[in-house]
Amino acid sequence: MSALGTGKEILAGWVVLGCLLVAAVLISLTVGQIMITPAELLRGLMTGTGPGSLTLRVLRGPSTMTAVGAGAVLGVSGTIFQILLRNPLAAPDVMGFMSGAGCAVVAGVAFGLLIPLPILAAIGGLVAAALVAGLSFHRGAKQSPLTLILVGIGIGFFASAVSSFLVIRMPPQEASDAQRWLAGSLSARNWGHVLQVFGLGALLFIVLALQVRAMALLELGDELAAGLGARVERARYGLICTGVLLAAVGVAVAGPVPFVAMMAGPLGMRIAGVKHPASRLTAAAIAGATITVFAEVISRSAIPGLQLPVGVMTGIMGAPYLLWLLWKEVEAGEV
Amino acid sequence: MTETGLTTSSLTLGYRERVVIRELSIAVPDRRVTSILGPNGCGKSTFLKALARLIAPASGQVRLSGDDIAKIDTRALARRLSILPQSPKAPEGITVSDLVRRGRTPWRGLLAPWSEEDARICQQALEQVGLGELAERPIDELSGGQRQRAWIALVLAQNTPYLLLDEPTTWLDLAHQLEVLSLLQKRNRDHGTTVVTVLHDLNLAVRFSDHLVLFGGHGLVAEGAPEEVITSENLQAAFSLKALVMPDPLTGRPMIVPH
Repeated sequence: MSALGTGKEILAGWVVLGCLLVAAVLISLTVGQIMITPAELLRGLMTGTGPGSLTLRVLRGPSTMTAVGAGAVLGVSGTIFQILLRNPLAAPDVMGFMSGAGCAVVAGVAFGLLIPLPILAAIGGLVAAALVAGLSFHRGAKQSPLTLILVGIGIGFFASAVSSFLVIRMPPQEASDAQRWLAGSLSARNWGHVLQVFGLGALLFIVLALQVRAMALLELGDELAAGLGARVERARYGLICTGVLLAAVGVAVAGPVPFVAMMAGPLGMRIAGVKHPASRLTAAAIAGATITVFAEVISRSAIPGLQLPVGVMTGIMGAPYLLWLLWKEVEAGEV
Repeated sequence: MTETGLTTSSLTLGYRERVVIRELSIAVPDRRVTSILGPNGCGKSTFLKALARLIAPASGQVRLSGDDIAKIDTRALARRLSILPQSPKAPEGITVSDLVRRGRTPWRGLLAPWSEEDARICQQALEQVGLGELAERPIDELSGGQRQRAWIALVLAQNTPYLLLDEPTTWLDLAHQLEVLSLLQKRNRDHGTTVVTVLHDLNLAVRFSDHLVLFGGHGLVAEGAPEEVITSENLQAAFSLKALVMPDPLTGRPMIVPH
């Protein structure tokens, strides 16, 4: 346990975290069916010509950068819910918000609605969150985090089922694309996606930065938070909305990629050795980006000639972690 | 006449079926240590929470310098009055200094950086509770007494003229109870902070308080100086306790010896 984080240890943690992300991005840009050396990339970057340039501009650059952006927003989103509910299982992927967002996007496509994907995803995510809150509501009683999580898992299954139903009724080509996207996919991304995820993500990060102090108070419990000047209910709803919207931004460019949101926070926190919400959120952004970029490069190079959806990879990485968490909760007598 | 201090007027707390406090009008003396006493379930914690606006009264008001606290801006109230709830739970792994720094939140502007003054007040709070050396230790690794002092440092860093604490000595052994109460008393004497605590132990409450508020199963039994409140009749009325009250050989204040 590196619970005793001294200044130097924490700095080292941040350096490690940053290096991992840079390494992931470099690997993602160089590795694939055609290997590109870093030198060629650099030449491409400088001159704007040659295979390096093509890789950066068209072939891998957009997908890699979309992976960075999507991973960051998902990681931050997951950490918001993990802090609010004080439970590592609390994340928009586990709790059905991302399935809800995905379902709304598929519905929009299926019914030919001309609404931009991030807005569809946001509506889906918020509806799913409202359903989770509504269905676990008991008059006069405060819902336990675990109740919310379990209800969320149920909502997630329901949303996925609706998505599958809608996909089956689509024409074959469209259905195949939708199926792929629903698994979480980063293939064929363009700079528009990069701009979208970074633009909306940056906007939400600013909104979140203004809420971080309230979050640090909510962590101490509602009564102390109120005593320290937080408007508890308002702060909590604000953070939930920000968290759902961040997840929706990720879903809009990458589909409902599973487990990134759940894994990023704990991983970032452990590597950076930090505890304060502001640091945890920052570490989660970097860790989320790293996980997603790694998953993306593995998913397209693991089986030559076959491009797996990135969600397949994050699923393979995330499922054992989820089982380990559940096992720990059972050990602690929480489940 | 302008009112001063923390007062209640016709304060009723609880719900229709279960009113715990009815039509209570009292004044907490300024710059003194007041303890709220009474049997379990008499509403003493509820009363303290109402004083800090953590629960809304069914009717009546709590007033701070004449202002209805329900109408004071949340942050403005947090600069005037702080409350430490019973048995707070720290986020996993955070250090004492991280905890205490959060006590400065109501004083900081939305984007204001951490100031020299914030740092000084936190350092002072840590030293007042005797945790200056342990500031970088995670809360989880502290002993029960140290942990409680860390929480007190948090509300001291909030630096308010009114400090409310709900059973700050629960789960502590006698030596640590004395330690916590004497540091609150010292804060009162040195800074003129008005301290209001809910306490379980009557003899300790008498020892450390200037003013007592005694509740029974049916509301207020007595309030005033310890000598006036701690009498055999009042203890009988509040706790159904038969006890002898005699002067404490050390302080001369009333001491309770149960039959």
